[in-house]
Amino acid sequence: MSSLQIDTLAYSSRLRQLPPEHKLLFAIVLLIITYVAQIPVQLAIAGWISVWTVIYAGIPTLVYLRLLSITIAFWLTSLPALVMSGIDLPHLQTIQTDAWAGFRWGDYYLYLSHQGVQQAAELGARAIASTACIYFVILTIPFTEILSVLRRIGCPTLLTELMMMMYRFIFVLLKTARELWTAQQSRSGYRTRTLWMKSLGLLIGQLLRRTLENYRQVSLTLNSRGFTGDFRVCHSRQYKLSKRYGFEALFGCTLLVMLTGWHYVTGI
Amino acid sequence: MLLEFEKVDYTYPSSPQPALQSLTLRIPKGKRCALLGHNGCGKTTLFLLANGLYKPQNGAIHWQGSPMRYDRKSLMDLRQKVGLVFQDPEQQLVASTVEEDISYGLCNLGLPDPEVNQRVGQAITAFNLSELATRPVHHLSLGQKKRVSLADVMVLQPELLLLDEPTAYLDQRQTRDLMAKLRQIQATGTTIVMATHDLDLAYCWADWIFVLNQGQLILEGTPQDVFAQREILEQLHLGVPLVFDVLDKVAEALSNQSEQADYQVMNKIPEPLRNRILDVFRYS
Repeated sequence: MSSLQIDTLAYSSRLRQLPPEHKLLFAIVLLIITYVAQIPVQLAIAGWISVWTVIYAGIPTLVYLRLLSITIAFWLTSLPALVMSGIDLPHLQTIQTDAWAGFRWGDYYLYLSHQGVQQAAELGARAIASTACIYFVILTIPFTEILSVLRRIGCPTLLTELMMMMYRFIFVLLKTARELWTAQQSRSGYRTRTLWMKSLGLLIGQLLRRTLENYRQVSLTLNSRGFTGDFRVCHSRQYKLSKRYGFEALFGCTLLVMLTGWHYVTGI
Repeated sequence: MLLEFEKVDYTYPSSPQPALQSLTLRIPKGKRCALLGHNGCGKTTLFLLANGLYKPQNGAIHWQGSPMRYDRKSLMDLRQKVGLVFQDPEQQLVASTVEEDISYGLCNLGLPDPEVNQRVGQAITAFNLSELATRPVHHLSLGQKKRVSLADVMVLQPELLLLDEPTAYLDQRQTRDLMAKLRQIQATGTTIVMATHDLDLAYCWADWIFVLNQGQLILEGTPQDVFAQREILEQLHLGVPLVFDVLDKVAEALSNQSEQADYQVMNKIPEPLRNRILDVFRYS
């Protein structure tokens, strides 16, 4: 999954016409609820925001699941460390209530911990729910619109300008790197291990050289186009509010907040 | 005269040879000029000097009769009047969407937002960019990027348009579209100078030609006059447009035939016919 693909998806999502501020706010509210809520609410958030991303925005399910599987894979790799505990035999009594099942291994007793399982479940639900929220943002709001929101809410200009230039030129850099890589491949530059290292070194050196060259050219262009020390652009995008989506978002968030509150009050 | 170079020298700090040597060149107002020469003959340097990006080390540049000044305000003014389209559109497009990129130059002039948006809208229609307007720049093909970079400059309504190898990244059809666009631009009173090494293109499009070699002006004049100087052009390894070559070959073939045959044939293409053929190729 390259960054270019994600970018293209964001530009062609069906929620593109909604104001980016609203989408961003929606995701942030859900993210906050995720942090304070319990597992069932977190799972509900993950499910609900996935419906937004896949069904409402029309992001291909396969792409979405592949992105989500990254988080799940990280969670799975840390699972053994979370759920398994070990203790030396003389202290076996102290964990009687916590142990689910276990076996002796030499002088030790390895067991599946109740507390560990609980912890792993909490971690998993929270991780999946919060990444689903983040994916909603990056898959439905193009980066340029996130930038313009940042500009409007008063993020320092230097920061937004830097991000804008990085966003523009990261693709030029990636393209250059890909072209160099292909050129090296076509001359068998990565045939053996030693060659591999040598070619990679060349590639990085060339990238640096071309970056410097590019920098010189771009500063010429910026001057030629009347750069005044302050990078300003305009756009004429028109956003449409949608009652239907607005209602669903408000209703859903209220319900989730109430559920979370209820959890706290009743102490379940 | 719109822009005059008087005995201008320029040498890059890292290079042993001068890029321009005592170059004197005058760009006439309202013409379509082609700047011909090999790679490294100083075409790009000339453009960067004309845009006030470099300062001549010797000599002077005059814009509309008065010497070029290099303070901030004069430069801003000059760069609005002299539009430069770089060879590689990748380095010219700096903002992230097409629309924002076109607005960049106007925003730099400090115009109010409604006027900027209105002029950007006009440029987008004029350059057939409506479908691309909100797309990010890195989603475009090279031909499309080239079109955007021309719109970037034309939105500022310059009096002089400098194009550095504008057809370098274009296919046949895109080249033809670009030429049509340039004709329209010239019709509104903009002077155009195009650096190229495509002789056929220069012949069929330009009405004034400069030939540059090793930083010096070798020839200038109308296409017919310049390309009639075949010997000089051959010496520079530039050659002449295909139509001149074809006509000369035909004339040669005719004269050879006349030696073999006894009867009298025209061993030359008659002058009026030759001129008519040349004209047909010029305005095609």
